[in-house]
Amino acid sequence: MENQSNASEKRPQGGSNESGGLLNSTFLPPFSLKGWLFVLAGLVPALIVGWVVFPMVLYSSQQQPFNFSHVVHTNPDIGIEGETEQELCMYCHYFREDGTFVGIPGMDTCTMCHDDPEFPYGQTEDEKIFLEQYVAEGKEVPWLVYSDQPECVYFSHIAHVKMGGLTCGQCHGDHGRSETLPVYKENRLTGYSIDIWGRNIAGYSKNIKPAEAGMYETEDDEQYLRTIETEQGEETYHIKMSSMKMDDCAECHTIHHQEQNNACFVCHK
Amino acid sequence: MKATEGKYKYGMVINLDKCTGCGTCTVACAAENNLSVIRDETDKQRTISWMQLFKVTNGKPFPDTEVSYFPRPCMHCHNHTPCVSVCPPTATKMDYNNGIVSQIYTRCIGCRYCQAACPYQARYFNWWDGHFPKGTERYLSPEVSVRMRGVVEKCSFCHHRLMRAKEQAYAEDRRELEDGEYITACTEVCPAEAITFGDLNDPDSKVAKLSKHPQAFRLLERIGTEPKVYYISSKDWVRRMADNYHPNEFQPV
Amino acid sequence: MEINRRNFIQLLAGGAAGIHMTPLPWKLMDDIAIWTQNNWPWVPKPEKGRFDHEKSVCTLCPGGCGIEVRKVGDRAVKIEGRTDYPVNPGGICPLGAGGLQLLYDETIRFTSPMKRVGPRGAGQFTAISWSEALATLAERIGMLRKEGRPEALAAVDGNRRGNAEGTLIRRLLESVGSPNYFRMPSIEDTYTTANLLMQGNPGPMAYDLENADYILSVGPALIEGWGAPGRVIAAWGRWHESSNGNGPKVVQVESRASNTASKSDGWVAPRPGTEAALALGLAHVMIREKLVDLSFLSNYTHGFEDWTDEEGRNRKGFRSMVLDGYAPAEVEGITGVSADRIVAIGREFGKAKSPLALYGKGKGNLNGSLLECMAVQSLNALKGNINKPGGAVVQEGLPVASWADVSPDAVAARGLETGRLNGSGSPRLPLSESLVENLSRAVLESNGTPPVDTLLVFAANPVYTLPDGGAFGKALGKIPFIVSFSPFRDETAAMADLILPDHTNLEKLEDVVWPTGLQYPFLGLSRPVVRPLYKTRHSGDAVIALAGKIGDPVAAAFPWGGFEEALKERLRGLAESPGLTSWDESKPAWETFARGRSVSPDYDSFDDLWDQLESSGFWYRPTHAFYTWLSCFRTPSGKFEFASGRLEQAVKAAAGGDAGDGLRKMGVEAVGDQAYMPHYEQTLSGDGEEGLKLVPYELFNVSTDRLPNPPFLTKTLFDTQLRKDESFVKMNPATADRLGLEQGERIRIQSDAGEVKARVDRFEGAMPGYLYLPMGFGHTAYGIYQKGKGVNPMNLVAAGKDPLSGQSVWWSARVRVSKA
Repeated sequence: MENQSNASEKRPQGGSNESGGLLNSTFLPPFSLKGWLFVLAGLVPALIVGWVVFPMVLYSSQQQPFNFSHVVHTNPDIGIEGETEQELCMYCHYFREDGTFVGIPGMDTCTMCHDDPEFPYGQTEDEKIFLEQYVAEGKEVPWLVYSDQPECVYFSHIAHVKMGGLTCGQCHGDHGRSETLPVYKENRLTGYSIDIWGRNIAGYSKNIKPAEAGMYETEDDEQYLRTIETEQGEETYHIKMSSMKMDDCAECHTIHHQEQNNACFVCHK
Repeated sequence: MKATEGKYKYGMVINLDKCTGCGTCTVACAAENNLSVIRDETDKQRTISWMQLFKVTNGKPFPDTEVSYFPRPCMHCHNHTPCVSVCPPTATKMDYNNGIVSQIYTRCIGCRYCQAACPYQARYFNWWDGHFPKGTERYLSPEVSVRMRGVVEKCSFCHHRLMRAKEQAYAEDRRELEDGEYITACTEVCPAEAITFGDLNDPDSKVAKLSKHPQAFRLLERIGTEPKVYYISSKDWVRRMADNYHPNEFQPV
Repeated sequence: MEINRRNFIQLLAGGAAGIHMTPLPWKLMDDIAIWTQNNWPWVPKPEKGRFDHEKSVCTLCPGGCGIEVRKVGDRAVKIEGRTDYPVNPGGICPLGAGGLQLLYDETIRFTSPMKRVGPRGAGQFTAISWSEALATLAERIGMLRKEGRPEALAAVDGNRRGNAEGTLIRRLLESVGSPNYFRMPSIEDTYTTANLLMQGNPGPMAYDLENADYILSVGPALIEGWGAPGRVIAAWGRWHESSNGNGPKVVQVESRASNTASKSDGWVAPRPGTEAALALGLAHVMIREKLVDLSFLSNYTHGFEDWTDEEGRNRKGFRSMVLDGYAPAEVEGITGVSADRIVAIGREFGKAKSPLALYGKGKGNLNGSLLECMAVQSLNALKGNINKPGGAVVQEGLPVASWADVSPDAVAARGLETGRLNGSGSPRLPLSESLVENLSRAVLESNGTPPVDTLLVFAANPVYTLPDGGAFGKALGKIPFIVSFSPFRDETAAMADLILPDHTNLEKLEDVVWPTGLQYPFLGLSRPVVRPLYKTRHSGDAVIALAGKIGDPVAAAFPWGGFEEALKERLRGLAESPGLTSWDESKPAWETFARGRSVSPDYDSFDDLWDQLESSGFWYRPTHAFYTWLSCFRTPSGKFEFASGRLEQAVKAAAGGDAGDGLRKMGVEAVGDQAYMPHYEQTLSGDGEEGLKLVPYELFNVSTDRLPNPPFLTKTLFDTQLRKDESFVKMNPATADRLGLEQGERIRIQSDAGEVKARVDRFEGAMPGYLYLPMGFGHTAYGIYQKGKGVNPMNLVAAGKDPLSGQSVWWSARVRVSKA
């Protein structure tokens, strides 16, 4: 006991002898000002490296073959049919008869409208590239897929969208309302898109928040709200997945009382 | 450790009287599940075969000799699943909701403890990466991931076929599967229809009825692993092969 | 400013603390973990795509099972069975299931036409264009015609009897002017000849086994690849459905405890090659105990009782022959089967309602013994179980249309008059169409210019599959120009000078004619389900293009734009005949068949039929006119003949009056009346003393015929069949003890024809005194999974000739054994 109290008294004393003032704290080491400057000189660049340089080095930026506007293509005026936003999405991103999801549609879907390479619908350079280099050549567009999961992962869209009632946006965000395609950033180590881990470099996912009545009233946010019935009653959540990792899936399953779907083979193949 | 009973319990009954030992189940399984082919497939300590044929003979001299076969998938033990209880990184687990014992290759650390624990030798270690002579990668199915060297693998009851059947059902606005909608590749291909697969929890399913057949039995029943793979044989000498019986211990049906 | 050690550490500490306040270490740790799990660039990642199912018919064996190919995008990823196909409702065989390894393995296939550059057999080729390849061959054939020896063109063809491609090839030779078209041996040869001799029509053997109540299976690997495996094994499964248990009793006759023998209700093991004696022993029991259909025998058969011929001589009948010569005790001496067992089986067969005796040899890839086949068929006749439901049905061939006759020019006409090189069809061998073994002998024995200048090989690998001790391979060495149409780098192709590769399974349009043993007429249409992967060409198309390049009059015989057009013309015959192209899954075809009602066709024109054939993939006629015994036999007597009139005519023609001489020429030892009836003669290959004999046997889960074995099938093998590069020979422990051999010991097996090394597997189910060596191993060609794996028993078997047919005796050969 005695020794301990001695030691605790000794430290601040030693500190006050050399610098005193602000840094004379019980919890900080007894460095001189110069000492602290050196600590900072190490700390600050490290923070910069970690928060700014590292993400730049870790991810390579790649451009899509050409730009694609979801806004243009979800406009009911051009013949894309659908009552709801979801149905508009599913005009191209549809389920096949066997229940499998088409994903990024292939050329066969595109050419349902863009059947004549000589006949562009708009004036953009992107459409020209599309018609000349892909439709005319009969080649598939090598899209970079933001949500491409690892080879060991199985995911059933129909289970989530048709049976689970999730909206497209709850997992894919505002992608369907975008006019330009975001830069595709690929993790140089893992080879996967940044969108899997989340664009938030800290890696925090703010996927699911309890929503209270009146909290989200804009039309934009309505698609993210979801009411789940529990034994205690109804609970409303704001679901907007910012990353697509295993924990994110599990988090949402748990909220939905679908813990049985956290079994390994449900998502792994 | 008694398992919590889930809603479904998939299992299999193999009728050894019908089984001709042709090996089509083994081949169909290999084709369905992207099994690797090593350079020397005759090396039975290294080759991988989720559905392995075991040959037994009655030991009688010519011309009373008889042979019979045990096609052996993973037993998907329902109780105290030996592999699951020893796996350090939880790369293998039983899904209590359907009884299927999973194996996650990317999680496996290759310690082979599960292989040692499995009483049925149903687990296989990838000593090498699979060998795919030029062009043969074209027959690989995207429904099952291709394994790398250094991991253990085993029969999954064609779990991807369960997913496939569910997607089909969802597309048709159904949540429940009909009996026979989800069957494994070996069940489907067997030319003698010796294999029956389905939900043991559904009393009306074919497999549940057959599993109660008086001549039905399981391998090493006494160790209490409750395998979900049953066999049927009308021959006493074949049924006797299912366990290490003391003299006079085996009870003929 | 002075920087001391302490400051430096402070800098580092600050940096370390700072880094840990950023995502860098945590994210790196996570990413490295993912990297270790997923970055295996050499592990293939299967491409995703739309799933599809396409229906077709398997062409990997003559069984012709219905298959459904699962596809992802353009790739075929799995072969499954079809549930809407009458032959095999759902199941397929191991080879069918592993078929994609043959399609996609580039290392065992030819990817374009090739020209040989290395020495023969080395397998060194260089790619050439199709037009160059066809022009080279056309020029060579043109030259032969110019030289006036078109008969020096020969073809060895592995196509099924009566399919369109085989018929086209035969037509090519005919129009060029060569009679030297040879079909590879198969059990069909034995069936058609036996039917010709006893029933008068060379139709296919049609066993209605699903409706029989007792099956005596003499030789066929009933559930190991005989006939259409999907059909027989499906029936097998039904018979063993524990809930109904009303299947027939199946007794297998075979010398080894095969899967079929073990799984059957009874197993009778006669010495290999004595099956005819066993069958006649059973006949003896049935006749003696009056367990025969006397009314059938007296009304619709000839030669059962003793009879008087046109010249007034008394002739011995089948009854007296069997009663005199085949008493159970005597048969026991020949076959090794106890007299009691013979009596018991004879009684069972005789007392059954529709007992069916089936004949075969293993899978049926090779010929059987003609006399054995006739002896077995006579058991059906004794019970009157011919042309009845549950019996051996008398069938004509498929009602396909013939193409217009070839009109040979003078050169061709002269060439066609020359005798066939194998001697078949000659007085010595009047009953056989194709004896490829004799072709090799003719070439090997020739002096000076070899009788064959250019040899075409289609859909066959005779160097490997022929049971001739390697004679065919030696003969190839003397043939100046060899052309292989094989899609695979097989042993025969390795000897070829020119390769014109065919498409392989799933790439090819083919008519699959009448699966072996099926009771009703059936034609399957195998549609391509993937686009050809390489620069290969359908052999039918290649033949038509070749004829075009040779020029008239050969070109005139091939007026079609391609194989499909020729095939369509041939299939027009089906449209004029009643049949069905659809099947109600709830009514098995064999049930419909047994009812014998007529069917009204579900097509009204050929175009209609073709459309349906393309979508359903089959045409069949599940009906039959049963009990037409007054009209169905086309023998000289118009009856079922125990004593074959046609054979007697042939013998007379062969010997010009001296019947004994004629019979000897045909390899028949028996004299007198019994020579024209089914009787027993020893069949064995190799000279020398009585001693050990070798029996080559087929495994269902190994490709034993012309196709390479897919490595998935090797997974199903046991290491007492093949281990590393060594085959195992099964022998009874008593035999092994006598020879002083332990399990796994290495031995040398020698015969007159050659020598192989193998390891010993002591197996109780092997008949003492016989060695059982598996077929399908010991390739010297193909890829790493086939080459050098085990030994080929066919290298040990040679010389034995089956009486009457002249085909090889491959089921038993004398050998000597020594430790290696």
